[in-house]
Amino acid sequence: MVTFDYTPDNKIFTANFSGRLDTLAVQKISEILQVNLPGKDGISEDKIIFDLTNVDYISSSFIRICVSVAKQAGHGQFSIEHCQPFIKKTFKISGLDEILNVT
Amino acid sequence: MAENQIEKANAILDRAQMASAEFNQYNQEQTDKVVEAVFKASFNNRVRLAKMACEETGMGVWEHKVIKNVLASQMVYESIRNEKTVGVISYDPLTGISEIAQPLGPILAVIPVTNPTSTTIFKILICLKSRNPIIISAHRGAAKSCTETVRICYEAALEAGAPEDCIQMISAGSREFTHIVMAHSKVALILATGGTGLVNAAYSSGNPAIGVGPGNVPVFIDESADIPFAVSNIITSKTFDNGTICASEQSIVVLDSMERKIIAEFEKQHCYFLNPEEIKKVERIAIVDETKSMSPFVVGQPVSVIAAKAGITVPEGTRILLAKLDGIGKNYPLSLEVLAPILAFYSARDYPSAVNMCIDLNYLGGIGHSACIYANDEIRIKEYAEMLNAGRVLVNTPTSQGAVGYFYNNLSPSLTLGCGTGGKNITTENITAKNLLNIQRVCRRKPNEMWFSCDQSKYFDESIGVDEIMNEYYKNH
Repeated sequence: MVTFDYTPDNKIFTANFSGRLDTLAVQKISEILQVNLPGKDGISEDKIIFDLTNVDYISSSFIRICVSVAKQAGHGQFSIEHCQPFIKKTFKISGLDEILNVT
Repeated sequence: MAENQIEKANAILDRAQMASAEFNQYNQEQTDKVVEAVFKASFNNRVRLAKMACEETGMGVWEHKVIKNVLASQMVYESIRNEKTVGVISYDPLTGISEIAQPLGPILAVIPVTNPTSTTIFKILICLKSRNPIIISAHRGAAKSCTETVRICYEAALEAGAPEDCIQMISAGSREFTHIVMAHSKVALILATGGTGLVNAAYSSGNPAIGVGPGNVPVFIDESADIPFAVSNIITSKTFDNGTICASEQSIVVLDSMERKIIAEFEKQHCYFLNPEEIKKVERIAIVDETKSMSPFVVGQPVSVIAAKAGITVPEGTRILLAKLDGIGKNYPLSLEVLAPILAFYSARDYPSAVNMCIDLNYLGGIGHSACIYANDEIRIKEYAEMLNAGRVLVNTPTSQGAVGYFYNNLSPSLTLGCGTGGKNITTENITAKNLLNIQRVCRRKPNEMWFSCDQSKYFDESIGVDEIMNEYYKNH
């Protein structure tokens, strides 16, 4: 559902998601993210990337998590990458693609 | 205050937009599962919701509101259940064009006090079928029954896997707040069913809107008609929910030669013709003199209440009050639309005069809505239909139940009846799920041989006229 990579040289923390991120899945993911994401103990300089290469559905609750993490990470420190076109379109419809830096 | 309202509107539309994003990913099967669940839940509550609406608004007849809820749930569901509303919905190999259905986005649905629960159910079903989140704005006089309808539908939708916030409701009562939401940039469409002021506000909001126009439905009873049948149908329709449907009959037009027979038939079927003094009394309570619009105090009221308010005595069991009038227009208040069991009655010397009267009535506040003819003469039916400006010309049919579709004809069952440009609407159709889709057309290359085989250089030569070009264009090579 979600795995993590960290490249210390670039200070990039990547969360690799997969599958269907519906409301139930997001509840579990939320707990995992809280434990693993950088910055939980204070300010972090790490950049956070959500990689959605293998994601085929996102619920509104997942978008809310993205917003929350983006706010926590700070300006320019969060991005969403490798979306399937279907997911990219979903972020566009949500009107949050720019805030979330969806590429 | 205004800033708070804007923040509130932002929050509602943000949630709706999120729901829209999620809904966009649903396939047909997932969508249909949600629609079926909402249909069943609303249908199972048809009686309770009808009674609530009747009690809260003080309008109409609860048994008739049950029928409206059945139309809005069962009949609407039947009409849309097999419709394709997701992905490729058609392909024509001859033209090479395929059509793809895309949702619109958040829809603001304005609900009238006259048909509150039924219109709410109807709009929710057609919005969900087209994968559009819906925001319900109820009339303050029907806020409780609409809130309960929304609760039932929303719970059923969530249970069936619908996106969170796919159905929301804005608190009733604040016209200012409704206008703020109407003008919000994230609203994709306004489905405005209600009075002229509200519909105009929707059109002025800057967002696309599907509105309705007011009705003033004329009914012509031709000499070829079956009179007892016509009178019986008119009564069935005009007493339905005490006349609250905007497609209900407003005026009856007959020929002089038929007048006595038709009046006798109305009286036989328990209708009462007011005398001139009584007409004045009913006018005073039915139409607001300053605005020349119907008084809310008579809308959806039975004859007994209207008679008591007017201070007149009518026989017990009277079903409809009829006023024989000499003219049409604002000086004859009962020739205007009144959503109550009151009918204007006119007699014409001949058929052309009768049709002219119907045209005048049609143009007196009801352009584009509905009209009716009782006849068994196809030529007259065609002539009449061509002369009237009405989205629906109903033939030998009670107009309340006929215009909303399904029961008496094959019109789409709907509680939002388009009135065309005459009613300042974009369509004359009965609005349904297909009106809530953006249809993309994927066009395969199919070169037009006539264009490519003609000598196109001739178009640039001013000395060559249209006849020569057209001969060249249509030449069989």
